[in-house]
Amino acid sequence: MCSTGAGLVTGEEVRAALHCIEYGMSHGASGIRVSLSKSVLDSFTVLNGELDKVMHSADRSLFLYIFADGRYGTFSTNNFSIPRLEDFISKALDTVKMLAPDPCRKLPDPGRKAHDAVTGQELHLYDPEYQEISPEQRLKKALDASIFRTAAADGPYTVISEECEYSDSVDDNFLADSDGFRGRHTETSYAVCSEMTIQDSGGRKLSGYWWESSPFFSGLDISGCSRTALEKAAGMIGPEKHKGGKYCMVVDRSVSSRLAAPLLSALNGAAVQQKNSFLENALGQKLFPEKLCIMDLARSDGKPGSRLYDTEGVATKDTPVIENGIVKEFFVNTYIAGKTGLQPTVDSISRPSVQPFTAQGYSSEGRKSCVSEEKEINLPRILELCGSGIYVTGFNGGNCNPVTGDFSYGIEGFAFRDGRITHPIREMVATGNMVSLWSSIIAAGSDARECTRWQIPTLAFSEVNFSA
Amino acid sequence: MEDLTAKALCHGGDWSDLYFENTVYGDLLLKDGQVTSGGLHTDFGAGIRVLSGEKTGYAYSENTEMKDMEAAARAAAVIASGSAPAAGNEGFCVNVSGPGHTGGMLYPMEHPWASAEVSALLPFLEKLQERIYALDSRAVKIIARLSYSQSDIMMFNSCGELTCDTRPLGSVTASVIFNDKGRSENKTVSRSFRCGAEMLTGEMLEEMAAEAVKGIDDRFAARRPKGGKMPVVMGAGASGILLHEAMGHAFEADFNRKGQSVFSDKMGKQVCNPGISIIDDGTLMKNRGACTFDDEGVPGQKTYMVKDGILTSYLHDRISARWYGVSPTGNGRRESFRFNPIPRMRATYMESGEASPEDIISGVSKGIYVDEFSNGQVKIGEGDFTFYVKSGYMIEGGRLGAPVKDINIIGNGPQALADITCIGNDLRIDNGTWTCGKDQSVAVSCGIPTVLVKSLTVGGE
Repeated sequence: MCSTGAGLVTGEEVRAALHCIEYGMSHGASGIRVSLSKSVLDSFTVLNGELDKVMHSADRSLFLYIFADGRYGTFSTNNFSIPRLEDFISKALDTVKMLAPDPCRKLPDPGRKAHDAVTGQELHLYDPEYQEISPEQRLKKALDASIFRTAAADGPYTVISEECEYSDSVDDNFLADSDGFRGRHTETSYAVCSEMTIQDSGGRKLSGYWWESSPFFSGLDISGCSRTALEKAAGMIGPEKHKGGKYCMVVDRSVSSRLAAPLLSALNGAAVQQKNSFLENALGQKLFPEKLCIMDLARSDGKPGSRLYDTEGVATKDTPVIENGIVKEFFVNTYIAGKTGLQPTVDSISRPSVQPFTAQGYSSEGRKSCVSEEKEINLPRILELCGSGIYVTGFNGGNCNPVTGDFSYGIEGFAFRDGRITHPIREMVATGNMVSLWSSIIAAGSDARECTRWQIPTLAFSEVNFSA
Repeated sequence: MEDLTAKALCHGGDWSDLYFENTVYGDLLLKDGQVTSGGLHTDFGAGIRVLSGEKTGYAYSENTEMKDMEAAARAAAVIASGSAPAAGNEGFCVNVSGPGHTGGMLYPMEHPWASAEVSALLPFLEKLQERIYALDSRAVKIIARLSYSQSDIMMFNSCGELTCDTRPLGSVTASVIFNDKGRSENKTVSRSFRCGAEMLTGEMLEEMAAEAVKGIDDRFAARRPKGGKMPVVMGAGASGILLHEAMGHAFEADFNRKGQSVFSDKMGKQVCNPGISIIDDGTLMKNRGACTFDDEGVPGQKTYMVKDGILTSYLHDRISARWYGVSPTGNGRRESFRFNPIPRMRATYMESGEASPEDIISGVSKGIYVDEFSNGQVKIGEGDFTFYVKSGYMIEGGRLGAPVKDINIIGNGPQALADITCIGNDLRIDNGTWTCGKDQSVAVSCGIPTVLVKSLTVGGE
């Protein structure tokens, strides 16, 4: 029996989940996995310095993954009463038996599963202080994050509105299967986000958004959130149309995951198996620069995104995904492994981390080679490295074709010259192909935001096509 | 329920409501030639909301025992702590049977999903796959999904209004990968209706299969064109998503009440050319965006946001309607009992004009024709939008020319609206699986006739 831990899932609920396995197995299932999740979320929203909204959410769900007669189905309910569950499982088994058989549907090999997720708190993502937080403290955090009353006269603009939200949550998962696997993952999260809308002297409205988060109450820094949102809005005053062409593109760490997402999606085994990936034949191939390294740091103690097991209960590990420019890993669950013959891994990436580097020998407008062993590579350093180009601070619409990798994204940000920002730009689009783009990467910062699950820092790419 | 709404107002506040939901949904997935996975899901709970002026307290329970509901009521009541005693629902109650209200069922079900046998549903996906393969030998992979749900809803509020609704929703999606001489392209088609399993007709199957393979030759031949400012003709139907994203959201009353929308000071003013009318409609029978009642118990309505070029109404929930001193428009919608309702669109479209689509295209010497958008995004305050063009054509000398793909259309909502200079006579509502994601996911639909926007930025090579 797995420990009931200090999270939300009770011993009675664990017993109900395990009863589902026993009941299903005795009524025709050949294998069952159950995932019992509970979460509680509280949020306080402040509009223009005054409380505007209070939310309290408490969720629970039981997902059943049922294997029977070589067939498979997924089922869920939030009603945990034993008679209801038994009735539900009977109906689920009837449904599964209507589906076509598929020999690739099976539970993972027991040897691949995690054995170290017993209490749910092994990764230290649960904050014991969570239980003590009062509604008054929550409201105070939201009010303290507001700068509406003092921000109004800060610059050549009028503050139209400010929305600040403080939220905290706890998520608790118990995963078990009929092969004896038991796993538990519990984590807390605290966040504050702020959206500022301003109006410039010409009557044009602009908005800026920022957020901070932490697994720990004591780690949540609310002090600069609204100020950063305001600065992002104010920074876009007076945009100029910029001539299209090929430019160096620096992508801010707050939005750089937008460019990592298509790359990592293309490494998903299901996409590969369905020929819906532009990296279909990339495993083991060197497609990217020598310096590019993307790790899955799934087991980082106390860091958001870390987990000891995936949705099948398979043990995660810290592993290179792209190493020295070579594609090292597809994310292949048990089913896709059966369909493709690929080695099974975990079902998806947990905590991707682009490792910092600057390309040796990169030269822009007279700048000479850069040192790749730099300890700290931040935005100013990368702007200096690139010399001139487009600094992207936001994406607005657009798409990446998952089959071809061709992309086209609306962007907002700034032009920069001699390593310094010159003016905001608008109505520009960055286009290209994802493989070509990542092949042209010239720097990755050491400045990924601590609070994010995806550790994607400031990135720089050469010769990116912009149209305006 | 009366006790519960009263308890929710124990700390004061002006109004409270309850929202009970019992949803059963299922799905079937065809992959690699067979329907090898499927599922059945149930979701049940009740939400309690307290309003104190424009302020909202919201909580929900997945258990409807009185003690759990009372706990949720206490959590929602926090919003009114320290405020004046309840003000007697002032401004929040509405006449539920007023003119323009639906007052009838918009989602007839001949074959309710709840009683449909899985074995009877499977053949539709198998035949759809078979038909697509038969129509184009370049189709190499097909993923087809049928999802269906039935939600039983009961709403009660402190005005004493009790409303019940049963909402079916069925959706079919097919994603096809084509391969031609080593190159791949993909296409997705979908249909979604608020009705029962009777939607799965042979006619719909043929329509979807034909649409899945339509234009694939052009998609393989398509290139990213040179960009720049140029006239853009938007094809009828699915281009309506641009209307939803770039204009519709800016008409939602919460953004306007807070002064965040670019249209917040434009009520009653001319915002585009006379002859243009934009509607958000909850009254279209079986439509994905239809609402017999919204999620505040307000009857579904047809709302003119722009009539003959003049901004005539925002889209209201009860909060904004009270704030503006108007009647709610039936746009208070939510994803489920887990969310408080906010102003949301339903079926958003532009009324037909006089021109034929052919005349609109022939009037453009050099421009672009777009028949499929995706991945649109808009900034509400600025009104700036960017939309990805999945397929379209160059217009040269008044004729459709080379196919184009993988480009973006960039513009500003109010400016683009003002720049619509010609409207086709061919309004088409698109019945795809459109889902709006403003904080919560809700089913919507969109439509538009062929229209000419005289100048937009096309982001190409």
